[in-house]
Amino acid sequence: MKKKRYITAAVIFLAAVTAAGAVTVRKINGKETVLEFGMFTGSNWDVASANSYVIIDKAIAAFEESHPGVKIHYDSGILKEDYSEWCARKLLEGDLPDVFMVLDTDFGQYCSLGAMKDLDELIAEDGDFDESAYFSTALNIGKNSGHQYALPYEVVPTLLFVNKSLLAKENIEMPNQDWTWDDMYEICKKVTRDTNGDGLLDQFGTYNYNWLNVVNTSGAKVFSEDGSRVNFTSSEVYGALRFTKQIYDLNQGQKVTQEDYNNGKVAFMPLTFAEYRTYKTYPYKIKKYTTFQWDCTTFPAGINGGNTSEVDALLIGISDGTKHEKLAWEFLKQLTYEEEMQMDIFRYSQGVSVLKNVTTSEEAAAIIQEDMDEGERVIDSSLLGSVIEDGIIAPRFQQYDQVINLADNEFSKMMEEDKNIDSTTKIFQRTINSYLKQ
Amino acid sequence: MKNRRIRFFQICILMLNIFSVMALSLFIYQTTEIIRRHFDAREFLRGVTAIPSNPRNNVWICGVLLTALAISFILRETFFRAKNKAIMASLIMDFTVSIVIVYLLNFNYNGILIMVFANLMVYIKGRKAQLALLTMAIACFLLADYNLLSVGYNLYSVNSYISYYSASRQQYLLGAYNILVSLNIVVFVMYCVDVIMTQRGTIDEVNSLNEQMEKVNEQMQEYAVMSEKMAQTKERNRLAREIHDTLGHTLTGIAAGLDACVATVEVSPEVTKKQLEVLSAVTRDGIREVRRSVSELRPDALERFSLDYAITKMVTDMNAMSGAKVYFNCQIKNLKFDEDEENVIYRVIQEGITNAIRHGNAKRIWITMMKENMDILLTIKDDGIGSKEIKSGFGTKHMKERIGMLGGTVSFDGNNGFTVNARIPIRWGETYD
Repeated sequence: MKKKRYITAAVIFLAAVTAAGAVTVRKINGKETVLEFGMFTGSNWDVASANSYVIIDKAIAAFEESHPGVKIHYDSGILKEDYSEWCARKLLEGDLPDVFMVLDTDFGQYCSLGAMKDLDELIAEDGDFDESAYFSTALNIGKNSGHQYALPYEVVPTLLFVNKSLLAKENIEMPNQDWTWDDMYEICKKVTRDTNGDGLLDQFGTYNYNWLNVVNTSGAKVFSEDGSRVNFTSSEVYGALRFTKQIYDLNQGQKVTQEDYNNGKVAFMPLTFAEYRTYKTYPYKIKKYTTFQWDCTTFPAGINGGNTSEVDALLIGISDGTKHEKLAWEFLKQLTYEEEMQMDIFRYSQGVSVLKNVTTSEEAAAIIQEDMDEGERVIDSSLLGSVIEDGIIAPRFQQYDQVINLADNEFSKMMEEDKNIDSTTKIFQRTINSYLKQ
Repeated sequence: MKNRRIRFFQICILMLNIFSVMALSLFIYQTTEIIRRHFDAREFLRGVTAIPSNPRNNVWICGVLLTALAISFILRETFFRAKNKAIMASLIMDFTVSIVIVYLLNFNYNGILIMVFANLMVYIKGRKAQLALLTMAIACFLLADYNLLSVGYNLYSVNSYISYYSASRQQYLLGAYNILVSLNIVVFVMYCVDVIMTQRGTIDEVNSLNEQMEKVNEQMQEYAVMSEKMAQTKERNRLAREIHDTLGHTLTGIAAGLDACVATVEVSPEVTKKQLEVLSAVTRDGIREVRRSVSELRPDALERFSLDYAITKMVTDMNAMSGAKVYFNCQIKNLKFDEDEENVIYRVIQEGITNAIRHGNAKRIWITMMKENMDILLTIKDDGIGSKEIKSGFGTKHMKERIGMLGGTVSFDGNNGFTVNARIPIRWGETYD
């Protein structure tokens, strides 16, 4: 009687296990593996982009060919402004795509939520993978507290727009790539004047060139690694703020507007490489800046600093909950590590490849040159390489944007009201540090 | 062992935990859905440090694991009742399962551990083991606390899900959450108290039973001493009775026979000689009887012959020996009873005859035996002098004792000669058909 009961229980158990096994096997064998990919449409750099799916579709086709039985699926039509919410919803229900683009505003948070797969192990296991192929700056953007959580897909440095027509009119030579704050001040001083004699300035040195651009070239280190402290009181920051104030004072309190700039009345403006590429090439080049010749160069360097500027990258990561870790890694490599694929960034996107070989290649230079007017001097690819490699990464702690906003307000008030730099920064630093401690 | 109340508490705790775990996982899943539906995901994520990896799966897994817990509880209460190994295995499984549940819920609810320890407590014997278990339970319960662990690890918090709702809703939800957590602890404490009380009760019961037993033991020893004395007394009485019965009877017969010889010796030496021969035989019989009595204390005639024959022989012997005439009238066929019954009947008849001759100088003695219902009515009547008041000599006293031993009654009547009326209950059945 008892034996019978045990046997029945055993039979039921075995049957259940077999059924579960059969279902699993069928699922694995019957269907092809589907790898989910999360992406948004349009450009990460807030410029118009018509080709957002071209690169990805090409990469997917290449990947599916080299990996039979694997399909890559993505939801199309998610705008960049909706993408963060889309990801957040996916993350909440535990259904993040296996491989997905991470916005830099989300990256830090996703890392601390454990949503991103730590790639260190995959990198160590993969003998074909060499981290040094990437620009170290770009690679560092994908790091969080010492671990590589994402790989850069596309990188965009900030450059300085130069109105060549204006400089030519004022008989000023195009600045070198290793120019300094003093050089810039001299040019601005020459350029800033009243051309039509109405008593008001109508030609200016800079537009949108702010304290942060200057600090980035000063050699100062403002934020601590973990973003828990700021240091606005170093001599480098003082120097940078003093220089900003000098430039500001040239305008005699007059506000420079976008319109001034569009009409060719401003010599310098910070501009991302993506904007440069967009408005330098057809069809967008006929939309903006058509009345004058223009180009881009590096930012002027401070005494202890370099010709450096902020570098931004679009990151792609693997979700921690992926069931196809190896495939996801392969696909991530396809997107960020394949040279042919990365060359397409120059062909169809507005950014720069994250691979040194690709960016500094002649082919890349040729692609950039392709759509430009004859005789235009193009930023050469070795310069591009050094701008990226020396680039400064904006810290990725949560309150960063707020700190920058507060500093913007504080420093522009300081300029306008002609306050003492020393005491203002000291008081401000104390405020910010206590804010960060909360 | 286990009383009903303990099981009632166990079921309460089980139900409460199933409800709490399901409610919690469903609440998190439901809130996630609401957040998704309202496109608040990004805003929500900004305020949390961790989220469950898949709230929907969590609900399923919790459901399955809780079912496993319920099944193991039912198995323990039904099939595994006396199987210690199976019970231990199921308890270990319970522990593992609840650790998984606590982990799935990110330590927001650890009451399920309480349930395991509640179940475990009943099966652990011994004060030390129970104390160790209780310490372990408290340690586990404290260590598996959200507030403690969330310092070192990223754990999602129910509170962050609760705080998604409007302030008034939050209060209800927080209230409900805290009530569930506290209720579980309250029931557990009640359960513990009950278990302890029950064990206390058992111990008291055992103690009082022990006391009672000791008392009874003492009494028993007293009884033993007493019954030994009684046995001695009884045996002494029996010996005295035997001697009186056998020796007394024979000597009385001889004395009566010798009296007869004295009377006849001059008239008819022939008759006297015959009589003396009879007396000699009776004397030898008496000697043998005494010997036997000493060795076995059982009537020899009965030892060798049936009751019927023994009585007939005794009557014949008496008739031959003394001047008295004995008539034996038995209306019962097949005189065969149990040994003690036969002994009593034989001795009573022997005693009756002896008394009639010795005290009553009877010339004729009538003995009748008949059956009435389940009893035997034995009457010994003589035509002797009788007696106005019955002296309780050895004879009648022994008769009373013997018959009393079988649960019968005896009465004596001294008018019109002497009559003995005995009613002896007989265990018919196995020997009488």
